[in-house]
Amino acid sequence: MNLRARACVSALLLFGLRVCFSQDIKLQEDDEDVMFKTPEEDVRVQVSGRALVPGVRAQDWISSARVLLDGDKHVGFLRDDGSFTVSDVPSGSYVLEISSPTYRFQPVRVDITTTGKMRARVVNYIKTSEVIRLPYPLQMRCVGLHSYFIPRETWGWSDFLMNPMVLMMVLPLLIILLLPKVFNPSDPEMRREMEQSMNMLNSNQELPDVSELMTKFFSPPKSQGKAAGGGGARGPRGGAPSPRAGASRRKMRD
Amino acid sequence: MPGWLFGSLTAEHCGSCSSAAMAWLVVRLAISVSLLYTASAVFEDQVGKFDWRQQFIGKVRFALFDTQSQASKKLLVATDKNVFASLNSRTGDLFWRHVDKTGPEGHIDTLLMYGQDAVVVVGNGRLLRSWETTVGGLKWETVLDTGSFQAAALVGVQDHVKYVAVLKKSSISLHDLSSGSQIWVENLPDSDTVQYQTIYSGGNGLVFVLGVVPNSHIVIVEYKIEDGEIMNKKSVEAAWMSSLETSCTIISSGILLCADQITQSLYTLPLQSAEQTEMRQIHLQTLDLEVASGFQPVLTSTQPNPAQPPLSEFFLQLSPDHHILLQLKDNLIAPLRDFNPSYLAAFATSGERTVAAVMSPKNDTACSINLFSADTGRRHLDTTIIYHMDPNGGKPNRLYVHAFLKKDDSVGYRVMVQTEDLTLTFLQQPGRVVWMREEALADVVTMEMVDLPFTGTQAELEGEFGKKADGLLPMVLKRLSSQFILLQAWLAHLWKLFYDARKPRSSVKNEITIDTLSRDEFNLQKMMVMVTASGKLFGIDSKSGTILWKQYLENIQPNSVFKLIVQRTTAHFPHPPQCTLLIKDKDTGLGSLYVFNPIFGKKSQIGVPALPRPILQTLLLPVIDQDYAKVLLLIDDQYKVTAFPSTKNVLQQLQDTASSIFFYLVDSSQGKLSGFRLRKDLSTELIWEVVIPAEVQKIVAVKGKRANEHVHSQGRVMGDRSVLYKYLNPNLLAVITESTDTHQERSFVGIFLIDGVTGRIVHEAVQRKARGPVHFVHSENWVVYVYWNSKFRRNEFSVLELFEGAELYNSTVFSSLDRPHPPQVLQQSYIFPAPISTLEATLTEKGITSRHLLVGLPSGNILSLPKMFLDPRRPEVVSEQSREENLIPYAPEMPIREEWFINYNQTVSRVRGIYTAPSGLESTCLVVAYGLDIYQTRVFPSKQFDVLKDDYDYVLISSVLFGLFFATMISKRLAEVKLLNRAWR
Repeated sequence: MNLRARACVSALLLFGLRVCFSQDIKLQEDDEDVMFKTPEEDVRVQVSGRALVPGVRAQDWISSARVLLDGDKHVGFLRDDGSFTVSDVPSGSYVLEISSPTYRFQPVRVDITTTGKMRARVVNYIKTSEVIRLPYPLQMRCVGLHSYFIPRETWGWSDFLMNPMVLMMVLPLLIILLLPKVFNPSDPEMRREMEQSMNMLNSNQELPDVSELMTKFFSPPKSQGKAAGGGGARGPRGGAPSPRAGASRRKMRD
Repeated sequence: MPGWLFGSLTAEHCGSCSSAAMAWLVVRLAISVSLLYTASAVFEDQVGKFDWRQQFIGKVRFALFDTQSQASKKLLVATDKNVFASLNSRTGDLFWRHVDKTGPEGHIDTLLMYGQDAVVVVGNGRLLRSWETTVGGLKWETVLDTGSFQAAALVGVQDHVKYVAVLKKSSISLHDLSSGSQIWVENLPDSDTVQYQTIYSGGNGLVFVLGVVPNSHIVIVEYKIEDGEIMNKKSVEAAWMSSLETSCTIISSGILLCADQITQSLYTLPLQSAEQTEMRQIHLQTLDLEVASGFQPVLTSTQPNPAQPPLSEFFLQLSPDHHILLQLKDNLIAPLRDFNPSYLAAFATSGERTVAAVMSPKNDTACSINLFSADTGRRHLDTTIIYHMDPNGGKPNRLYVHAFLKKDDSVGYRVMVQTEDLTLTFLQQPGRVVWMREEALADVVTMEMVDLPFTGTQAELEGEFGKKADGLLPMVLKRLSSQFILLQAWLAHLWKLFYDARKPRSSVKNEITIDTLSRDEFNLQKMMVMVTASGKLFGIDSKSGTILWKQYLENIQPNSVFKLIVQRTTAHFPHPPQCTLLIKDKDTGLGSLYVFNPIFGKKSQIGVPALPRPILQTLLLPVIDQDYAKVLLLIDDQYKVTAFPSTKNVLQQLQDTASSIFFYLVDSSQGKLSGFRLRKDLSTELIWEVVIPAEVQKIVAVKGKRANEHVHSQGRVMGDRSVLYKYLNPNLLAVITESTDTHQERSFVGIFLIDGVTGRIVHEAVQRKARGPVHFVHSENWVVYVYWNSKFRRNEFSVLELFEGAELYNSTVFSSLDRPHPPQVLQQSYIFPAPISTLEATLTEKGITSRHLLVGLPSGNILSLPKMFLDPRRPEVVSEQSREENLIPYAPEMPIREEWFINYNQTVSRVRGIYTAPSGLESTCLVVAYGLDIYQTRVFPSKQFDVLKDDYDYVLISSVLFGLFFATMISKRLAEVKLLNRAWR
């Protein structure tokens, strides 16, 4: 009978992506552990602290909150002023959290030595031996409300119009439909303006310009139309053939 | 044998064989990936739409009404589930509830109340807590000295209650009521021989501690309240007495009253007098009374105010249904009123007046409760409350009375009745049930969800197809008639819609009853059949949480284990659905079967086989009898098999298929797993045995796969477009072991994957420096398990996935006997930054929807964790291919997002199990979490891809459609005009 599977790839990534086979996790000495070994004698201590929810009266939240040590291994309750004690805790290392359905608190790791000494530090599940001390007795401060819900996607015209897909679809459509109407190649005023802008751009040689391409593309072969001059209709017809062209013209006016 | 495992294993399962599945694979992948970060969150407007929660407290051990003010609605309860709560006595809802830790350390020993403060002794006298009852905040908490708790009492001085005294086995301590500080603590004299059991204070500056040396004498010690000095100590002969607690009480101005069954006598002794050195005996015969043989008489007295001595009236219970109210006056005991028959009696005080409420049987189904004045025994007029007993429930066993003074100075009262089946009923005159709580539901053991039946009309149609054909013309007529019925039903439905639309919305909400229950379009509403530890069964509508039926099974041993099996679903009309409950005594292993209809809760008339021997294993076969009931096999300790139902047809089928029916047994005390095969004559033969040495490690759990699980895709598409086929062995067992050595350096958790048919160990893995409790899920081709890493003191998830490789050995049929290649096993582990209570996986109809793991947390939240995060192929270094496959890069820590909590702020206390069931919609999985509370919801692991969203904008889509329609019409018209104009030009 084939007792062991042929290929067993097991990856347990601990400190900094260290790969090892699960059958053979290397022993690693950790002086933290020596300190917090399971006690032979029965040391029972009280873990105390105070939880605060700024701006909310204690009466409004304490009845639904509990203080939990390592899940519900040890349970404490809150007093009217937000202070709490968890009694009868044997030595060891615990994660203390305040569980409230409304308010969120950061958990704290509490270490109790066999002699009953206590310290509090930041919970770090990855580097478990890292010590960033926190004040003891504990000061638990609410870090906000629980955000259980995600907002519904609301529908608005602005969202719809600013959607890249819509922009991609609508703008070319507008260009195709409107350009021939706006841009009348037979209009001499327009033409002159075009040429001016072209000159401006030509001074700036290294950049090929869209407007140039546009003009080339849309204008009929150079033949007639230099004759008719006149100042008149400038503003309203000056609707840009393309955004880029419009921009360059404005620059020119400046 | 603690192993109590079940499994159905057949050697050959047809794998869903298709290559079309591949197309689905891609779709599925696309679904799961695009929804990765938003999947399974709750929108705020969905709150309460399809989810509900019910909160429970457990079996009430102490209940006190707040009698301080007339308007108070508070009812304080302490229960066997270590819950201390305040109920609204008008509605039965919870004001607040405090859930302490489980086990003896959180056990509530006693509850005392004075004014706004409630004093609770917790954990066998370890903690003394005082609660502020209006808000539910803790006032103070003190740790008491070690020693087992005996009694506690409030101590008053000059009409004011100031202290609380706690009596332990060898010491007594006095604490200040307002701060909890200890005033004094004294050791009890001769505590090694004397059992001190009772404490009494009558408000005269003394505390009496009473102890007994069984069958010898009573010891009475007087303590001074101020400093704990022993004022007096005496012992009195009482050779007949074995326990003070059960047979004695204190009445009047400090007179000890005891009752003894053997001598048929009452004994009195003034506590304080120095001259009387022996107990005065009063023969019950002189009062014309007699204690029923074998019944320990019970004395009940009342002390309305702890700072005053108790009343001189008391109840004596002579037999289970005989109470008598007696009075001690001038050293003489006189009966005031005899209540025969009477079930329960209780005192209650309002202001200065004390009353006694007595429950007497009225007829077979009802009891009447009457009020009597305590000092005379006279009946108060017009105070009868009729209590109707539930025919499917248990007998009443506790009576709590809330007395209050009415405006005309007469005494009114309400009662709370607790029954054997843990129903709390709150009644007021003349018998109106104000509220009712089913506290048995605080301890749900197992549950199943059963599809609801079709409506009558749907069933009628179904029935037409089920019957045998009887000629052309009758068939046509039947067809027409059923079509006519359908039309009628539809018209009635339309009429109802029209009728309801005119009524205001609030009154439309119609009550759900069993008769109106029918399956909805998507089979989202089901019947939840819940089995509770007290032996009460419930049928609950999953949509609303309404209890539709309940059935109390009497004579259930308190340590029974239950196994609920659905033998026939509702799909086989006209055969009623059928559930079977196997009840097994944990100690003897002897079992019995209870067969019932899960929709109506009625016991079925089917004869059940007698089970004279302990049952080791049950298995539900896919074989069905002629009535469409699945066959249940029960294996006893001599490996004999009993089939249920065991008709000829079934036995014939069993003979035919016997060679492919295998089952396994677990003996965790010897660490032995053994596999058996059924023989044609329903005996068995041992075919394999795996021994896991019990000295080193013990088997803690064995799990197969769920029988109703579907796996849609047979493989996974890799980045290079090849397919990695899953190892889908339906007979695979996951065995979890824990080391017997609990030292943190040497402890380990082992996992074995064993084929249940051949006994072949497919894979084994060991997690060193780890210990339990291990929670795990075994599904599809993966096992996910959680353990405690004792080195780094954190929970870790580990996932094992099994693959066949790039080629499938036999793609049509999976056979355990013919699998030459062992599977490829991939494993990865992750840190889970929270403790865990329970673990389950979502389940959907066809298995197309991506899977999520449902993690019950001790904080009460249920986390829906996408299985994508638990994928052993998550790469450390992102490559083009892994990106193509949408694999998330490996991160050691598992994320916990609050949006993934499917029950938002509706936390489920002490969640013990999560039940998942598929619905008719592929996207939707029904979830029930149970523990102290019950929470039901639906989850959509891949969002609701098969139904329109809740907020689907019908207005927009229709306005756009209409707009386009009109635009076409107008532009058509314009075009016509234009054409016409052009033609004229």
